[in-house]
Amino acid sequence: MQKRQQRAVPERFVVRRATLYFDRFMNQFIKVGGLSVIVAVSLIFVFILLQVFPLFRGATVEWRKDMPVPPGQYVVMGTDEWSELPFFVNAGGEVLFVDTVDPGGPHNRGHFTRTPGLADEATVSAVAFNEMQTQLLYGTVDGRFAIVDVQYKATFPERGGREVAVELDETPLLRIGREGVPVRKLAYGGSGVQKLVAATQEVEGEFELHAVSLAQQRTLLGAGELSVERSYDLTEFLTGEPEQLAIPRDADAVLIGNTDGSVVYLHFDGQEFTRRQVFVPFEDREDRRIATMDFLLGDVSLVLTAHCGANRVYSIYRDPEADMRIWGHTKTFPDLDRGAVFYSASMRNKAFLIGDGRVASLRYGTTETIRWQEDLPVQATLAALGPRYNRLLFLDDQYSLHFYDLHDPHPQAGWRTFFGKIQYEGQATAEYSWQSTGGRDDFERKLSLVPLIIGTLKGTLYAMIFALPIALLAAIYTSQFLDPAVKRYVKPTMEIMASLPSVVLGFLAALWLAPIISNAVPSVLSAMLGVIVGAFGIGYLWGQLPQRIRMLLKPGYEFIAFVPFMVLIAYAGWHLGALAEQFLFVVEDPDTGLVIADFRLWFPRATGLGFEQRNAFVVGFVMGFAVIPIIFTITEDALSNVPEAFRSGSLALGASRWQTAVRVVVPTASAGTFSAVMIGLGRAVGETMIVVMATGNTPVTEFNPFTGMRTLSANIAVELPEAPYLGTLYRTLFLGAMVLFLMTFAVNTVAEVMRQRLREKYRAVE
Amino acid sequence: MNEASPDSAPAVDVAQAVRQRRVEVAQRKPEADADVNLQHIQVCNYSFFYGTTQVLFDVNMDIPERRVTALIGPSGCGKTTLLRNINRMNDLIDGIRHQGDILIGGQSVYDRYLEVISLRKRIGMVFQKSNPFPKTIYENIVYSLRVAGRNKKAELDETVERSLRGAALWDEVKDRLKESAFSLSGGQMQRLCIARAIANRPEILLMDEPCSALDPVATGKIEDLIDELKKEYTIIIVTHNMQQAARVSDRTAFFYLGKLIEYDDTQTIFMNPAEEQTEAYVSGRFG
Repeated sequence: MQKRQQRAVPERFVVRRATLYFDRFMNQFIKVGGLSVIVAVSLIFVFILLQVFPLFRGATVEWRKDMPVPPGQYVVMGTDEWSELPFFVNAGGEVLFVDTVDPGGPHNRGHFTRTPGLADEATVSAVAFNEMQTQLLYGTVDGRFAIVDVQYKATFPERGGREVAVELDETPLLRIGREGVPVRKLAYGGSGVQKLVAATQEVEGEFELHAVSLAQQRTLLGAGELSVERSYDLTEFLTGEPEQLAIPRDADAVLIGNTDGSVVYLHFDGQEFTRRQVFVPFEDREDRRIATMDFLLGDVSLVLTAHCGANRVYSIYRDPEADMRIWGHTKTFPDLDRGAVFYSASMRNKAFLIGDGRVASLRYGTTETIRWQEDLPVQATLAALGPRYNRLLFLDDQYSLHFYDLHDPHPQAGWRTFFGKIQYEGQATAEYSWQSTGGRDDFERKLSLVPLIIGTLKGTLYAMIFALPIALLAAIYTSQFLDPAVKRYVKPTMEIMASLPSVVLGFLAALWLAPIISNAVPSVLSAMLGVIVGAFGIGYLWGQLPQRIRMLLKPGYEFIAFVPFMVLIAYAGWHLGALAEQFLFVVEDPDTGLVIADFRLWFPRATGLGFEQRNAFVVGFVMGFAVIPIIFTITEDALSNVPEAFRSGSLALGASRWQTAVRVVVPTASAGTFSAVMIGLGRAVGETMIVVMATGNTPVTEFNPFTGMRTLSANIAVELPEAPYLGTLYRTLFLGAMVLFLMTFAVNTVAEVMRQRLREKYRAVE
Repeated sequence: MNEASPDSAPAVDVAQAVRQRRVEVAQRKPEADADVNLQHIQVCNYSFFYGTTQVLFDVNMDIPERRVTALIGPSGCGKTTLLRNINRMNDLIDGIRHQGDILIGGQSVYDRYLEVISLRKRIGMVFQKSNPFPKTIYENIVYSLRVAGRNKKAELDETVERSLRGAALWDEVKDRLKESAFSLSGGQMQRLCIARAIANRPEILLMDEPCSALDPVATGKIEDLIDELKKEYTIIIVTHNMQQAARVSDRTAFFYLGKLIEYDDTQTIFMNPAEEQTEAYVSGRFG
């Protein structure tokens, strides 16, 4: 075995170790870097997904504890804000409070009873409960009533924790209806100035309905005595036996549910009652009888159940045909097995807890969704929804109180809320609407993303209508026709345009351009039209000129001849537009009655569409301005990169420059051009500052060029300060971000696929 | 061939001659056209500049019709520049300038009355690198007809067959006319480009090193084709391949550093050149 000769490698062939190490290191480093970018992008997406995910989860309800309650004939159940001291009212009017905190502990008060004074030892014949204001309403056997306010007060002692005390604040007994006749049903509604109580009585087999309006003296020391201001006999409006009574808190109506299944809506204008409407909520059902009729938060919607178990919501809104506010069927829920036994409305949102004893269901009025539904292990007779929307309390027929924890941070959220049409309270039809904040406490957020998506598409559309022809034609002209000496200056100039901060553009658009354009829409339009038509016209005339004259301008410098004419045409168009306005767009000024020429007034009058100063037209202009340089630069590069051989080949065959551009260069560069358009599109979709400033941010769902819009991106910028951490709006904004992300992702994916195909098709031979 | 060969004549007053010729052309009656030989090319005192660099120095040539004229010379000697100026393909380059004139059928290619597009329709051109468009074989060939607005199917079909037959490609591609031109081999592509160049029946065919990227078999086919084509066309071919020049051309012009050193019958140039430089070049001693 001959030992192999180790030949010394000449030094000039030796690779330095450092070179090898560095090469390996950079190889790994770049690999890690590239992977990190992919991971980071995916993590952002995962993060957004995690933020959005809770919106689409239902409520979770967990059993917490059971507790015995002294037996009694309870008709009403209520609870305090923390669900620590719930109360039960029996048919005799006694109020039983049950301390549920720490049973058997040192501070536990057990249960105790309070009986309202109710002077004259009147016997209670009816009890009603106004859940929203925690007010009990007592009717007596001799035809009087009193309002008892259950006032919880929480104190926070130094030793920590919380102590809830309770006090009953009752009004004196006031007369209603016929004296000496027991009150059977009664209802109360009132806040602020107007207060209304209604009660039914049975007089010798005939039912009567009476109402009183209440007056409260206000003194310097606070609210004074309550007294009856005026009595009304509403018996004439009865059509059957009144079973349900309801009065909204504005005290402007009395709603009567009759045994025949009809509901009578009496409108009260402060002086007189008028019958506005009679409707049968379950007209299409065999058994139309109404089992329950209660308000949702806000007293604008009625939740009705029928004896057959049907569950519907009626809301009051301005009916365009009747031209007044009447009740209409707005929501339908799945049937219960029979009429509801218990009902409790949330004080936080439009949710309500309803059930027929065995089944308990938590439903959301606005979205027609069931947040949670379960068969209870017991037969519940009464239920209460914790005012903080965090507890469910059930009392069963064995006098045991069941506590459940409710966790439902986003009750309103759901596919339908974000992407479907919803008829919100006060709306006559189902609409896509976005309105995240309002003036009132009981204002309901409207969270449809559809107007924002439409706004995004609208902004993009108008920007593209403006930008695409200009950018593409400019790129074709610059790369194929313009003299290279001039091109050297044109391209950097266009690229400087791209570096203009969009906030500056938005600022200019909102404060300078928008007023100018809105003052002179016909002029702007006719100048634009003039330029377009003029370009074709001059181009045609130029082509008709004899070669001898055309030779005076070097090819690539024709624009020198064009520019003065174009300026002239634009100038003429501007004035022609103003002239056209004088003759065409004439309207009568509604303020002065004079006939004036004003497009801003004429357009809404003629088309029925809106006109706003900050509109899509302006945004199209300015966002187009922001998008043009990108599209232009990339397209120009793509066109210039078309192999010179194709151009020469085409020109040598006797094709004109235009034919060469259109037949050979543009198709060959179509992949690059397509990317340019898509990148421009992506920029327009995601553009924020310009649309925030120049659109007016009205979330409309129309494509009228003379109204504004609100885009997804602008929406996030505008609503961010209004969105509490982890709240529904906060997560909805993330959902908007995700929709935006998916939109641009879709655009980019389509672009990439198309680009690859085009590139394959027009691949140049190497 | 023609009366006085320009390269032997003393420097003529070109401007005067051109002006006179223009008047003649302008006054020419249509029926007189037949007399004018539109395939005859004259290069008169032609100099050409890229910016400040002069690449052609006072070239005078008389190129006979229906013959193959080869332009030879080392790289950068200006032969391609001259070729590309005949159909004014250099127009698009920034900062070019020329003196003297090129006449085709007696009319200047720089004539103000002459549309450069119509000039190029009369002159077919085949480039060094085959450059079919990213279209089908069929569309490549009918391109010159389409840009002229001639879209009748019968005419197009007839043109495709005639041109492909003319370029000796018909039998190879007749079943795949709707396929992309890029599916052809290199030699086929170059013949396709020749077919495309003759589709509009030009009078002159310019070939810029048409075989430089091809293997000997494809080169042979194209050389046979050139032999065939010269019956109809005036052909000017730029080539680096001395054997090719000797094989296909009737007349040969030798350029060196922008100057036309010698221009004569091919046989003379290769067998018995008058200039020493020519002899050195054709015998392979330099270049």
